[in-house]
Amino acid sequence: MPIASLSFPLPIRRRPSVAPRNFIRRDRAIELFESLRFDESVCETLAYLLPELRIPDLRTQAFSFVQGSARVHLSIAGERLVVRAVLAALPSATSATAALRYFLSRLSSTGQVFQPRLNERTIALEFADDLRLLHPHKLIEILQRLPMEADSNDGWMVGQFGVETPDREPLTALDDDDSRRAIEIWQLHWASVDELMVECRRRRSLRFLDALATYAVDQTRYLLPLNGAVRAKLNEAADVFADKDGYPNRRETTLVKCIREMRAIEGAELALSLGHANYAINPLREGTPSLLTSILGGGSTMQTIGELRASGRALEAAIELIADYHYLLAHQTWSPEIEAALRAALDGVSNRPWRDVADGLWNHANLTAKIYGSHGETDRDEPAADHDGDSRYEQ
Amino acid sequence: MSNENPPLSFDDIEALGIFQVYTGSGTGSGFLIDERHLVTNCHVVAPFRRVALELRDRTRIVGTVRRVHPLRDLALVELAHAVPGAVLALAQSDGLRSKQPVHILGFPVGLPLSVTEGVISHPRQLLDDQYFVQTDAAINPGNSGGPMLDDQKRIIAVTTCKLTAADAVGFGIPASDVQSFIEAFRGQSAAFGLQCPACEELIESAVRYCPSCGLDLETHPDVADWFGTPEPHPLVAFVESALDSAAVDPVLARHGHQNWSFHSGSAPIKIWCCCSEHLNFSSPMVQTGTRKLAPLFEYLLAAEHAPFCFDLSGNTVRMNLVVHTSDVFANLAHPTLIERVRAFIAKADETDNLLIREFACQPAPETKRDALEHGVHAQEKDAHGEHTLP
Repeated sequence: MPIASLSFPLPIRRRPSVAPRNFIRRDRAIELFESLRFDESVCETLAYLLPELRIPDLRTQAFSFVQGSARVHLSIAGERLVVRAVLAALPSATSATAALRYFLSRLSSTGQVFQPRLNERTIALEFADDLRLLHPHKLIEILQRLPMEADSNDGWMVGQFGVETPDREPLTALDDDDSRRAIEIWQLHWASVDELMVECRRRRSLRFLDALATYAVDQTRYLLPLNGAVRAKLNEAADVFADKDGYPNRRETTLVKCIREMRAIEGAELALSLGHANYAINPLREGTPSLLTSILGGGSTMQTIGELRASGRALEAAIELIADYHYLLAHQTWSPEIEAALRAALDGVSNRPWRDVADGLWNHANLTAKIYGSHGETDRDEPAADHDGDSRYEQ
Repeated sequence: MSNENPPLSFDDIEALGIFQVYTGSGTGSGFLIDERHLVTNCHVVAPFRRVALELRDRTRIVGTVRRVHPLRDLALVELAHAVPGAVLALAQSDGLRSKQPVHILGFPVGLPLSVTEGVISHPRQLLDDQYFVQTDAAINPGNSGGPMLDDQKRIIAVTTCKLTAADAVGFGIPASDVQSFIEAFRGQSAAFGLQCPACEELIESAVRYCPSCGLDLETHPDVADWFGTPEPHPLVAFVESALDSAAVDPVLARHGHQNWSFHSGSAPIKIWCCCSEHLNFSSPMVQTGTRKLAPLFEYLLAAEHAPFCFDLSGNTVRMNLVVHTSDVFANLAHPTLIERVRAFIAKADETDNLLIREFACQPAPETKRDALEHGVHAQEKDAHGEHTLP
C-alpha cells in the first residue's frame, strides 16, 4: 500500500539565536578601511559579524570564537591579520596519505582566499595577509567561509583517516528524551523517503525526484543537530542526488543508495553524530521577502503545482510544497513571526492525506507570499522587517 | 572514368597556414596570405590593434592589425616575423554552385585546428544587404575568420557567422570580396586603415566624419573604438601591469574576456575571473607519480608556500594564487600584489622542475617539455621507463 501521509515533528536542532546584522557597522568598517584605519576597520568588521561578542584589541590579545565544532583564532602580528582554525593532527606519515589527498583535493582550491596549511603535523585552515589588503568585504568572506568549512570537516575525519582532532569545540550531547526522539525521527524519515522513492520511480518524474531529493536532505537538516560522520556521508550523497543539473539516473541511483545507507544506521551510531553546537556567526542565511515571493509566491513553479492539484495529482503537488517549506526552514533564519507561520503550516498538515497537504500548503503559500513577500520591491541588503502586531495568519 | 582531379587530402591540415588568433575579447581563426600577413574577421580582432597568433608549437607571436573593413567583417594582420605554413589560394567566387562540398577549418571553441564538412547551401545568399556563401557545415565560436575550402583546398570564403535561431545555416564572406580587400591592402602605405562602413573610403586617422561620405564615425558602433584607446577594466589593467612586471607581454597572454594564458618557462599559467570576488592565478604544472605521494602531499600543503597554495585536480598538481578583487579596487597596495603575481609566475617555472626532480612527478599535458630544466626531462623519461617495466 503506498504511503498515505508524512509527519512533520518539531525540530530538535536549536535554531541559531543570532542578533540581526547591523549593516551600518559594515559600512562604518569600509569607511575606516578607506581612511587607512586598518586595525579599527578589522574590529568593526568583527563587531558587524559577531554582534554578541566583545572584540578585544587584536594587537595585544588573541581573539577566538566558536563556530559549531570549529574554534577560530584571530590575531594581528606586525601588519598582518592571521585567521586560523585547526582541522586535525596527522598520525604517522604512511597512514596519512588519504587525509593529505583529501585536504589537497577537497579543501585546497582556486577561488578561495584561505587554504589548508600543514605546520609540523597539524593541518589548519589558514588565512594571513597584510592589513592593507583586508577590505571588509574580503574579511567578511573569510570569516564566513573559513569557519563554516572548518566546522563541516569535524570529528568524521577521525574515523575516516585516523587523525586526531585537537583544538575542536566539543558538542553538547542530547538529553535522553531528545536522543530517543531523534532516533525515531531519523528512522521514520528515511522509511518514508524510501516509500516515496518507490512512487518516484513509478512516476518517472524528474520534478518528483527534485522535490524528494530536497525533502530527503532538508528535513534532517531542519530537525536534527547532525554532525560528524553521518552528516559528512549524507552531504556527500546530497551533493549528487540534490543537484538538479546532474544526470537523473545517477541522482536516482545515489539517492536509493543513500536511503539504504541511512536506514542501516543504528541508533548508537547516529547518536555519535548528534549534538548541539554554538555558532558565533549565523550559519544560516537571513531570509528575505523576495525569497518568500520567489518560492511561494507564484511564478511557473507554483503554477505547475497548481496544475498538479487541479489534475488530481495531489501527492506530487504536496511533495513539492513540503520540499519548499523545508528548504525555507532548513537554510534560512526568519523573523519570529514568519518562522512561526512557516512552522504552523507544517503542523497544520502533519499526518494528513495528500489532498489536504496539497490544498493546505498551497493556500498557505499564497497567503504567506501575499503578507510577507516583496511585492515587487527591489531586494534590500538587510533582513526582512517584522510586521507589527499579532500574526495575521488564518489557519 | 572521370577526368576531374581527385580531391586533395585533408590528412595534413597542420601544415596549412591557418592559425588561432587571441585577443582580450576572445579567440578566432585566421589564414596566411603570405608568410607575414594573415586575414581574419574584423570582429575577431576588434577593437585591438595588437593581437596574438599561436603557432603549432604553442608559442605566440604578436600581430599588428593593419587594415579593417567593419562592414565586410575583414581584417588584415601583419605578423612580427615570418611564420611557416602553406598559403592557400583564393578560388573564383563565380564558379561556386549549390551542393558543392565545403571544408571549414579553424579552432572551434578553442580546440586545436580541426575541420568540419558540409555543402554550399547557396553560393550567393543576400543577408543584411550583403552577399554571403551559405553553408550547412558546422560553425562554432572560434571558427570565425578561418577559411572555407573547396575540394582543391582553395579558399572559397571566410567563415564569419551563423544563424543561432536555425540549424546548419552558416555564412562566409565570398573570396572575391576577400581578394579585393587584400589587393587594396597591398596598395596601402598607412600603418593602419579602416574602410568606412558606408562608402569604403580608407580612414587612416581619427576624424569625426568620413571625408568622403560624411558618415559620423565617432558614434558608429563598428568604428568608434578603433581610433581611441578604450579604458581597460580595472581588473584587466591590474593583471596586465602585473604581467608587464613579470616580463610577460600582455598581448601574447590574452585569451578572451578577462582571461589570460601563457607559459612561464615550462609551466602553463592561467589567469581568470571566476566570479565578482576572485582573480585566480593557477598553474596546472605536473601530475603525481605513483610513489613518494605522502612526502609530496606534505610538501604541497606546507605553510611555507603561503600566499601561494597547491591543490589536486584529479592527479594534476596546480599551484594557485587568489587575489581578492576588493584589493584591486581599493588600490592601497598594488605594488605588493603585483610583486606577489610576479613571484607566482617565477615560482611556477621553478616548482614544476622541483616536483619532477624530487617527487617523481610527471609533466602535465600542457607543460612545455622542451623548456624544463636541463636534466629534468631526461629524469622524467627515466621515471616513465621505470614505471612501464614489467
